Amino acid sequence: MAELSVQIGSLRLKNPVLVASGTFGYGKESAELVNLNALGGIITKSISLQPRAGNPPPRIVELPAGMLNSIGLQNVGVEAFVKEKLPFLNSLDTAVIVNIAGSSAEEFRAVVQRLENEEGIDAYELNFSCPNVKEGGLEFSQDARVTARVTALVRAATKRPLIVKLTPNVTKISEVAKAAKESNADAVSLINTLVGLAVDIHSRRARINTITGGYSGPAIKPVALAKVYEVAQNVDIPIIGIGGIMNGEDALEFIITGACAVQVGSANFIDPAAGEKIVGEIAQYCEKHRISSIKELVGSLRGEV
Amino acid sequence: MAARTTAFNKGTLDCPVLSVKNLVGQIYLMRMHCPAIAQQVLPGQFINIKVNNEFIPFLRKPFSVCRREAQKGWIEVVWKIVGKGTQIMANDHAGESIHVLGPLGKGYRIDSGLRHALLVAGGLGVAPLPFLCEELLKHRKPVEIFLGAKSRCELSFVEEFQEMGVQVSVATEDGSVGKKGLVTELLTERLAQHPALKNGTFFGCGPAGLLNRMTQISEELKMECQIAIETMMGCGFGICVGCPVRVRNPQAGENPYKLTCVDGPVFDAREVLLDG
Repeated sequence: MAELSVQIGSLRLKNPVLVASGTFGYGKESAELVNLNALGGIITKSISLQPRAGNPPPRIVELPAGMLNSIGLQNVGVEAFVKEKLPFLNSLDTAVIVNIAGSSAEEFRAVVQRLENEEGIDAYELNFSCPNVKEGGLEFSQDARVTARVTALVRAATKRPLIVKLTPNVTKISEVAKAAKESNADAVSLINTLVGLAVDIHSRRARINTITGGYSGPAIKPVALAKVYEVAQNVDIPIIGIGGIMNGEDALEFIITGACAVQVGSANFIDPAAGEKIVGEIAQYCEKHRISSIKELVGSLRGEV
Repeated sequence: MAARTTAFNKGTLDCPVLSVKNLVGQIYLMRMHCPAIAQQVLPGQFINIKVNNEFIPFLRKPFSVCRREAQKGWIEVVWKIVGKGTQIMANDHAGESIHVLGPLGKGYRIDSGLRHALLVAGGLGVAPLPFLCEELLKHRKPVEIFLGAKSRCELSFVEEFQEMGVQVSVATEDGSVGKKGLVTELLTERLAQHPALKNGTFFGCGPAGLLNRMTQISEELKMECQIAIETMMGCGFGICVGCPVRVRNPQAGENPYKLTCVDGPVFDAREVLLDG
């Protein structure tokens, strides 16, 4: 049996498969459907300082090999999260990573400060990249300087591992990753959704309330892999790969390209056990290829084609 | 690794298809062997179906359980061909299997004090009503059915209800069967003729226009009204938060949206506000 555990700064994952924020609720929703303890970790739905109502419908539209969403960060807010959601997550034998959203740098810091004294949080992931809620029309991680500044502000408020989630909607994602590293983030996760649009030609209306939304699903996997490759080649920081992972093979593509762990997103909607199955498929692959530790695979992409 | 394995074969249920039948026009009925669901499901609950192992269509789609036979272990769903997924299901055959997740959602409530059940559907909104009707009859509740459709080829289950021994009134917009007009007109006429029915409860399913009119009638007459609504859904079990329905009078601090998949699909008509 290959060693599947992964170390990211002080964050230890028993295997490299996480479920992505916004695609797994607060964990409990799937408790009756799957073995949550099989996962390397659960990344919660984004938590903001105050509860957020979310966007009006329609919030999702199905597309070939993917979907467009504009949920609008609907969440219970940090207080209710601590009281109502965190105790269940703590009862699990898997890493708990709290994803944090904010519309200002100060909000990010305030949420982290509120969570600092709560036990059972293994890391924070900063959502600098939601395409559907933004300040001044820009996602934070579209700007390297903003990324550096907000990361540094949060860094000063916590010793817990800090993961910065990056948007692909930029010219050079590696420069934003570099900014996160320079502000002492422990890892970057990429990619969040691609900004997309779908049109109903009969009504001549956009098929989602905010006109554009976030495109996810297997259709975006090649884009995600290219972004992971760019960061892996240019920045020395642990990468968590995200984007259209549906099975073990997809997850392995990310790991070979340079990700030390992965997040499963939209696949959870179709099969809440997708993450668990992917862990099994990675283990099988390692056995077949006589790989003793998953670390051997990380960034093992060969230069020649 | 073997040929590309998709993520949704295990964990959810792989149910053998027992039969696929064309009921009328583009409307189809599938019976599948699914004992776990057949035994647990409540009227108004739904299952979420993935029609193939491909990425097109990408998501599962919700279907009301139309009828079930707990002992024999089968359930039925009914649908109209509207796109790729429903076309694929219409082409399925006995012996093939289909990926099912369920039962999901909250169904209709059958209160012990219920006097008369007035079941009202528009078009394919009929889907959850045969199962509901059977359960109401088991509870020895008097049931009447009101079915509306655009035309004859959008109308299904009339004979099945008649065979259950309940009164069925039909309205079609083109007048090809039953009364020409809207089903809610039949309903108001019937209530005017038989005021005793005003002690009853409405159970509705169908387009927002129909459900809004039923809600309005129920409020005027101070009747109970439960409605099953349909929205686009991503997952069907509360994790994607993609199926909001507006809460009618949200309390201060309460989220102004409920989720169709876990808070519904059946709601008390006074709880929610439908567009349309």
